Amino acid sequence: MDRRKFLLLSAVAVAGLTFAPAIKPAFAASKLEEEVKKRLGVELNAIKEIAEIKLTVPTIAESGANVPITVEADIPVDKVERLWIFVDKNPTPWVTDVKYTPQNGQVFLSTRIKMGETSNVRAILQLKDGTFVMATKEVKVTAGGCG
Amino acid sequence: MAIGTAILRVPKEAQKGQIIRVQMVITHPMASRRRDPQTGQEIPGHFLTKLQLFHNDQLVSEMIMATGISANPFIALPLKADSSGVIKIAYEDNRGGKWEKTAEITVK
Repeated sequence: MDRRKFLLLSAVAVAGLTFAPAIKPAFAASKLEEEVKKRLGVELNAIKEIAEIKLTVPTIAESGANVPITVEADIPVDKVERLWIFVDKNPTPWVTDVKYTPQNGQVFLSTRIKMGETSNVRAILQLKDGTFVMATKEVKVTAGGCG
Repeated sequence: MAIGTAILRVPKEAQKGQIIRVQMVITHPMASRRRDPQTGQEIPGHFLTKLQLFHNDQLVSEMIMATGISANPFIALPLKADSSGVIKIAYEDNRGGKWEKTAEITVK
């Protein structure tokens, strides 16, 4: 390798190293997308939003330590496998999942969750046929409640 | 109240086929793992991991959770009342604690 080639190659290598980190974040999935993929085995943007899931959360929560959430679905319970709750910006976006049986009679869950900051809350229904549907709502948090 | 105690509330009576709400409040810190700000030592988490709802020993619902649920969790789940008997919740935490609580229901 002569001097000219060496200089050219090293210039290319240095440029590659400098630009690589700048490009990378564009491809990296968000924590929520990773978590959904890991737990549900599907991409988040492949999940359809439907109006049959009624997600009730406060628009503004005074304390992130105690955010009431109620999920009700107009879908027969025997078509439903599981209900998943995710909070986009929590350190661990997955909050809970509930398995339903026809003995429940209905898809319903009411509980209280923790939220670290203002974020979207998602209720995702896993149906028996393997598909997923969801409802999303934003909750503004004035004081975070994680840790 | 001591960790693991619960209040379980179901209607005393229900019509056959009526969908009732099983409501509960469990005393538990639901603490996540964190570091002590002064000493830097790690404080392990302590939280409920699983809750099961039974109607006459038949599993109706199972809820998997971690520290995303608030301290002293309040949970309400539906149940189709088709026979009289015992409604039971069984729950456990990440330190091996296991508890149960029952309530009775009369279906007319």
